[in-house]
Amino acid sequence: MNRKLINGLLVLIAIAIVVIITKDFVGNKAGKNTPNPYEYSVDQFRQVDSAKVLYHEVLTFPVGAETLSGIALADSLVIVAAGNQLLHYDRSGKEVFRKTMSDTANCITVDKEKNLWIGMRHQVAQFDLNGNMQQQWESFGERSVLTSLAVSGDKVFVADAGNRVVYQCDRKGNITLKIGEKNEQKGVSGYVIPSPFFDLALDEEGFLWVVNPGKQSLENYNADGSLRTSWGVPGMKLEGFSGCCNPAEIAIMEDNSFVTSEKGMPRIKLYGQHGELKGVIAPPDKFDTDSYYAPDVAVDAEHRVYALDFDRKQVRIFAPK
Amino acid sequence: MESKEAPKRMDRRKLIRNGMQLSLGLSLAGVAGWSATKSSSDDLVWQLDPFKCVQCGRCATECIVTPSAVKCVHAYALCGYCDLCGGYLKPDPNARTTAAENQLCPTAAIKRKYIEEPYFEYEIDEPLCIGCAKCVAGCTSFGNGSLHLQVRHDLCKNCNECAIARVCPAEAFQRVPASTPYLIKGDFTKGKKG
Ligand code: SF4
Ligand code: SF4
Ligand code: SF4
Repeated sequence: MNRKLINGLLVLIAIAIVVIITKDFVGNKAGKNTPNPYEYSVDQFRQVDSAKVLYHEVLTFPVGAETLSGIALADSLVIVAAGNQLLHYDRSGKEVFRKTMSDTANCITVDKEKNLWIGMRHQVAQFDLNGNMQQQWESFGERSVLTSLAVSGDKVFVADAGNRVVYQCDRKGNITLKIGEKNEQKGVSGYVIPSPFFDLALDEEGFLWVVNPGKQSLENYNADGSLRTSWGVPGMKLEGFSGCCNPAEIAIMEDNSFVTSEKGMPRIKLYGQHGELKGVIAPPDKFDTDSYYAPDVAVDAEHRVYALDFDRKQVRIFAPK
Repeated sequence: MESKEAPKRMDRRKLIRNGMQLSLGLSLAGVAGWSATKSSSDDLVWQLDPFKCVQCGRCATECIVTPSAVKCVHAYALCGYCDLCGGYLKPDPNARTTAAENQLCPTAAIKRKYIEEPYFEYEIDEPLCIGCAKCVAGCTSFGNGSLHLQVRHDLCKNCNECAIARVCPAEAFQRVPASTPYLIKGDFTKGKKG
């Protein structure tokens, strides 16, 4: 009797041990209950005081393409270059036009005459609004990686991350000035471009602003390519630009306010014309965490911000509250 | 305003980079050769895919070897040589210096060396590295992702069932041929996102 009882107890204990080990194994395998003692956390910087958030999201729509390249606005159209696709959306987010281009876009802008300028990897091409090619420039060479374009009158500015220079060209693609090459007399220290994020934009007076991404700053140039002014501080705190290559994307509003968009911990912010932080357009919690890509940004006359979200493959429109 | 295909790396600081790439290549090739002598060409060894790794910390805590047989390696070809290095510095450091309070690595296993204004080089002191992936997380989020983990085959016991593989939440571990035991970023991964 006693022996039977002991055997029964032993069996029960054996079953209990098997259950505990299996539970532990399965639980552990699923990666549960094991906090990371070495966690890399920027959570404290993701929190933004809601009083500082000046915008709210008013419309979001999907982009029907796999590879997104850039966003631009023309009249009532939202134009998205997506790989070799050119897409038009109306302001309600309805796709109204789609065309396949001959090459893959890297970046896009629209000039005052509603021409599309598209930077491929090594080349610039001009299209009409319906994607009919008007001209294609010669290649800037194998080393070139074109990342941004801006057009003002007869000047086309081309950011080349590969050669770490901005070309000022005429409309036919002839280089009239190289901007940003190291030149102590002009006060230019040269661009530091750790990865291919290198954006530029023109302010209302037509002055050129270029992001120096390795220095987390925006640089402003005179017509002769000399440095006029610059601003920007590195840092995860709200007023700073976090990590390398930020701000990865910029846009300038009609009142010369700056919209900046960061990668790593994505966030979109608004700065005044002298670089003072005005507030936040879209805080980090609006985006997927740890995005390699900063949303590309474009702005309209009503100060709305159009963000191309590369992770969610969406156009997201933010308007002042 | 730029294409968001797989990040394209720039041809910069070629001399330094090629030199460092060569030294990384040689050191891993040496280890590969050493491990190949211990195993036939058909043998398989454990390796992790750095593109799958989500930097969970288990490579440091679960390996049967102490410190872990998993180490950080640096793909110099992908590095931006940044002053503000997301893998070396804590988020929002007091200063961009080598002072201990600014360093992200819990064992100070990353050495920062000034090259020329404004470039810095980062080298892993492997005996100090515990494979915790903290630097990998920082570099992946705020840099080019050049720091990544690899199982070092001069240290790995090639367990039948790798204790890390069993718990890796990203299922990053796999068996690879002993003759090609490393999955170095920018090497086996050309064209992959990262
Ligand atoms: S266990 Fe897997 S996910 Fe975690 S650090 Fe190691 S390889 Fe990366
Ligand atoms: S942070 Fe962790 S993985 Fe990186 S070098 Fe230091 S110990 Fe190694
Ligand atoms: S096989 Fe064994 S020694 Fe090698 S990494 Fe895995 S647990 Fe560590």
